[in-house]
Amino acid sequence: MTSAIEIRGLSKHFGPVRAVDDLSFEVAAGRVTGFLGPNGSGKTTTLRMLLGLVSISGGQATFGGRRYVDIDQPIQHVGAVLEATSFHPGRRARDHLKSVAVGAGIPVARVDETLDIVGLTDVAKRRVGKFSLGMRQRLQLATALLGDPEILILDEPSNGLDPQGIQWLRTFIRNQAALGHAVLVSSHLLSEMEETVDDVVIISQGKLVLQTTLADLSTRAGTASGMRIRTPEVDRLGQALDAIPVGWRRTAPDTVVIDGATPEWFGPFAAQHQIVLYELVTERGSLEEVFLSLTQGFDAAIVGQSTSGQSAPFHTPGAPS
Amino acid sequence: MIAIVRAEWIKLRTTTIPWVLTGVSLVITGLLILVYFVNHGDGGGGGRGGGGTPGGFGPPTPDVPHTVQQLRNLIGRGIEGYIFALLLGVLIITVEFRHKTVTTSFLVTPRRWKFVVGKLIMAGLAGAVLAVIILTATVLGGGLALSAKGGSFSALFHQLGAVAPGMILVFVLFALLGVGVGSLLTNQVAALIVCLGWFLIVENIIGGIWSGTTKWLPSGAAAAAANVTAGRNADIGLFNWWQGSLLILAYGLIFAAVGSAVLAKRDIT
Repeated sequence: MTSAIEIRGLSKHFGPVRAVDDLSFEVAAGRVTGFLGPNGSGKTTTLRMLLGLVSISGGQATFGGRRYVDIDQPIQHVGAVLEATSFHPGRRARDHLKSVAVGAGIPVARVDETLDIVGLTDVAKRRVGKFSLGMRQRLQLATALLGDPEILILDEPSNGLDPQGIQWLRTFIRNQAALGHAVLVSSHLLSEMEETVDDVVIISQGKLVLQTTLADLSTRAGTASGMRIRTPEVDRLGQALDAIPVGWRRTAPDTVVIDGATPEWFGPFAAQHQIVLYELVTERGSLEEVFLSLTQGFDAAIVGQSTSGQSAPFHTPGAPS
Repeated sequence: MIAIVRAEWIKLRTTTIPWVLTGVSLVITGLLILVYFVNHGDGGGGGRGGGGTPGGFGPPTPDVPHTVQQLRNLIGRGIEGYIFALLLGVLIITVEFRHKTVTTSFLVTPRRWKFVVGKLIMAGLAGAVLAVIILTATVLGGGLALSAKGGSFSALFHQLGAVAPGMILVFVLFALLGVGVGSLLTNQVAALIVCLGWFLIVENIIGGIWSGTTKWLPSGAAAAAANVTAGRNADIGLFNWWQGSLLILAYGLIFAAVGSAVLAKRDIT
C-alpha cells in the first residue's frame, strides 16, 4: 500500500537547536494517524516543513512522492489546519473562504458547502474579529476542506473547542478516514486521541520514539499492569521478591510495585512469607501512562546523551586537552 | 496567475484599509484644490496674482487659472497622492504578515515569488484606480470651482489628456514600489515608518546636501515620470518621463526581487 505522506530522515536545525532530528514515518490513506509528543517535541515544525512553510535542513517530506510546493493547486489535495494561523479580523468569514477558493481555482459554491459542514452558515457574514476561538478553529477547518482534499493535516485541532465540538471533530475525522482519506492529527495528549486514531507516531525531542498501531499500544498498556502493595515490611518483601524472577520497585518508603503480578498469585505468596499487608491494589497501565513512559524514558535517554555530548567543549580542569 | 490576482482583489476589497486610504487622499486633494484657489492660481503662466477676485463675476482675470500650464497644474494637484499609492502597496503585502494570514496564502500559493507577483499586479491596478479617482475628483471639484470663478470648465477638461497618463503611471509605479518595500520589510509599522520617513525627511536631507542627486531620488523620478514640465524636465534637472518611469520601476522591482528571495527562505512559524 502506498503512503499518502512520507517523511524520510527529516531534520530541522534552528542554529544549534535540533528541533527535528532524522525523523521518519509514514501516513497511510484511509487511516487516522495520531502524531503525538509533548509540547515542544517538534510536531508543529515537522508539519510546517511538510507543508513548505518552514525550510528543511535535511531529509524529505512528500505526498505520494511529491513535495508540497511541487503540487499543482495543493489545497485541492492537502488540507491543513495549523496553529498560529490567523484571519484578518475585519474580513467576513465567507469572504475569507471566497478569497481562498478563488485563489485555488475552487468553485465559489464550495464555500457555502464547507460553511455548512463546519456549522458556520449562520455567522458566515460576520467579521472574523468577533469570532470565538472555537469558531475560528471551525473556520480553519472549513478553509482546509474547501478543496475536498484526500489528505488532511490537523495540528492540535481540538484547541479551543468545547466538549461538543471535540465530539463533533472526532466523528468528522473518522468519516474522513472512512472516505479513504489520510488524516494526520497532532496532539500532546494521547487520551484525547484514543477514540479517533488507528495509528500512532510518537516523537520526543524531535526524534521518533515509536510508530505503531493503536492496537499494539493498547497491548503494551495491558502488559504494563501490576500490583501496588503497601506494607510495613518492605525490606522482607523485597528479599522474598529478589529470590524469584519478577520485576519490582520501591515507589515509596512503605510501597512496592510488582510488574505483571495478580492478586491470585500475590495473596498466597504474601501468606507463605507471612508478610503483613496494609493495602493491595491491582494497577492497569493506561495508554496515557505508556505514552508518558515512552516519551519520558526517551527524554531521559536523550538528556543523558546530550550531557555527555556537551561535556566535550568544556575543558575539565586537569584533563588532557 | 489570474486566479491569484482575483483572490487578491477579494482580499483587498474586504478590508477597510483601501477605502480609508482612498477617502483620506480624496480629502487631502480637496484641500489642495481649496488652497490652490485661495492662492488664486500658482502663477505657472504669468506670475502670482496680486488681489483676489471677489465672487464669480466678470470675465476671466489673470487671477483665475486659464493658461495651459495653470490648468495642468490644477488637474495635477493630486499628484502628491502617489505617497498614498505607495502606502497602499506597502499595506497590501504587509497586512498578510501583520494578521498572519500569510500562512494560508502560502498554503494556497506555495511558490512565494508568485505570491509577490500577485501582490505587485494587484497593487499596480489599485494604484491606477486611485489615480483615476483622484483625477476625477480634481477635474470635477477644480472645474466647478473654476466655473464659479468665471473660468472655463471645458478648457480645464481639455488638459486632462496631457496630465492623466503621467499621473496614472506614477501612481502605478509607486504602488509597485510599496509592494517591493513591503516584501522586504514585512513588519507593517516598520515599513510604513521607513516609507514616510524617507519621503518626508531623508529625501529632503539628501537633496539638500547633494542637489545633483534629486533626479535619482524616487520623488525626483516621480516628478519626471509625471512629466509636470511637459517635455522640459531637463531644464529643472530631472530625467525625461520614460527615464524617470524606468527608474521607479527599477527601484520597485529590485526591492520586490530581493524581498522575494528573502521570503523564499523565510520560515513561516
